[in-house]
Amino acid sequence: MGIILELKDLTKAYDTYTVVDHLNLQVNEGELRCLIGPNGAGKTTTMDLITGRQKTTGGQVIFDGRNITGLKEHMIVRRGIGRKFQVPAVFKDLTVRENLEVAFNRNPDPFANMLMMFRRTDKARFDEIVDLIGLGERLGERAGYLSHGETQWLEIGMVLTQNPRLLLMDEPTAGMTEQETHKTSQIFNRLRGSHTLVVVEHDMTFVREIADVISVLHMGKLLAQGTMAEVENDPKVREVYLGAEGISDAT
Amino acid sequence: MNRTGGNLYHNSTAQWLAYIALFGLLAIIPVVGAEPFQLRTFAGYAVFAMLAVSVSMVWGFGGILSLGQGIPYGLAAYCMGATMQMQFQTPDEPIPSFMLTNELEELPGVWKPFWHTHIGLILALGVPTLIMTVFGILMFQARLAGAFVAIMTLAMLNAFYSMAQDLQPFTAGFNGISPPNAFKAFGVEVDPYSPMMYWLALGVLAVVTFASKYMLQSKFGTIVQASRDDAERVRFLGYSVAYYQVVVFVFGGLIASLAGIVWVMIQQYVSPTALETPFSIYMVVWAAVGGRHSLFGAIVAAIVLNYLQTELADISETWQKAWLLILGGIFVAVVLLLPRGLAGAFEYLIGWIPFGGRSAKPAARPEAG
Repeated sequence: MGIILELKDLTKAYDTYTVVDHLNLQVNEGELRCLIGPNGAGKTTTMDLITGRQKTTGGQVIFDGRNITGLKEHMIVRRGIGRKFQVPAVFKDLTVRENLEVAFNRNPDPFANMLMMFRRTDKARFDEIVDLIGLGERLGERAGYLSHGETQWLEIGMVLTQNPRLLLMDEPTAGMTEQETHKTSQIFNRLRGSHTLVVVEHDMTFVREIADVISVLHMGKLLAQGTMAEVENDPKVREVYLGAEGISDAT
Repeated sequence: MNRTGGNLYHNSTAQWLAYIALFGLLAIIPVVGAEPFQLRTFAGYAVFAMLAVSVSMVWGFGGILSLGQGIPYGLAAYCMGATMQMQFQTPDEPIPSFMLTNELEELPGVWKPFWHTHIGLILALGVPTLIMTVFGILMFQARLAGAFVAIMTLAMLNAFYSMAQDLQPFTAGFNGISPPNAFKAFGVEVDPYSPMMYWLALGVLAVVTFASKYMLQSKFGTIVQASRDDAERVRFLGYSVAYYQVVVFVFGGLIASLAGIVWVMIQQYVSPTALETPFSIYMVVWAAVGGRHSLFGAIVAAIVLNYLQTELADISETWQKAWLLILGGIFVAVVLLLPRGLAGAFEYLIGWIPFGGRSAKPAARPEAG
């Protein structure tokens, strides 16, 4: 298993304020990586830089051995990076099924899609994803009527429909109840191995349930990296997370 | 309330039948008897309905609030006006009379292609399409949206309006061009007062409506509507949102161009009023009142509102003047009380009728009524 994503001296600065500061990070293929850190550590910005949503100030993003820095968002997506947003983004006026159909992007050309009347999606894959996110009963529903948790799963399903090689998830459990969070961690554990995932998360219970390797960001830099136990006992990490209690209590 | 499963409104077959019924009904008007001048007025309503469909596509489904649908409409109308004017001119008298009064001594180069009717028609569709394409690319590549698009399109509309006013030797300025004869093609003269003209206008309306409806039911339509809801999400599914927006913007422009061509055939007249700001805003009002998420609603509203206007103007001059107030009142009432327009209210009402089973096509667009 090789390195699928590599950040080299990735930097983002607004005037004098540096949000991401010469960040170096490597993610292996098939890994489930958690990105944690206090507010303002640069986690979401890092995702924005990887996916082209924000322009980098310096450094490079290498995906699958190729430099993708500065490409437009949709081109980066076509290379195989899927992204779930912090605030769930689904198409509220479309049905759940239509949301997934839009996500099934076989041919991005508008004229080709004018001829696509029967929406031939990959049936097996479609069923598999619907089963994974557990929305089989709700396919005809307008996405606007879904609960918060269901909306999050729908968006995860949409990203998965693209079959990306790398999935970036920004706070997938934000606002979820305990049961919903648990179900989400089951989804992630099923994805483990077949997909490479990078998950930004605040909920440490959730991180504990899913993470292989944890990277801790602080002030736009990589502070520590390792397993849960290694990171927990790292004195630098303990200091950042409000002194002596350590990250175990920081939820 | 969840009515997605069992609302007749969302049944794809019922939707197509409703459109066929509407056009069938409109088509028999000349048969059941209408005065020639009434037919000409009704043909004009078909043009307004095309414009409402155009706005519905661009704004209602594409989420692009264009206040410049008058641009393709007006440009096509001017090209058509020139074509019909040149049908009247002869090699002995090649220069239209308004040019002579503007002291032009030979036919300007830009007018020469209109000697040929087929080239004139190609230009009437091609020029607006080209301009809308360039304009669309500039706007949507820069990710303009919302009020900025409205302002840009409005500014562009006014630029063309000024050109039509000021380039008097070429456009006859504020007097406009009035070709003396009816449009002729393939040896047939299309009398504006004839059932043929009416059916032609209605036929074009039917074609643009069904083409739009088809597009909305294709995957293209779903992606366009998805971009309206959340452009960023669509971008992050690997689609070029700008590309889709340009295509739907140009498609809407093409419908408006056809409307402009038909209008000049009916009126035998084109003037800068086609490019006036209020007219482009009326189009948006028609679509909003009918329900911008419904082509059917847009068509019905455009016809009914214009019919009301004509009828009221016939009563007295006071009513004619009051019309703008009435239209404004209707618009405000719809925006406040029926944000989805008349079609939205209809959707709600019809939802109470028991309708067995699920929609024929579960994925039928909830809004493409």
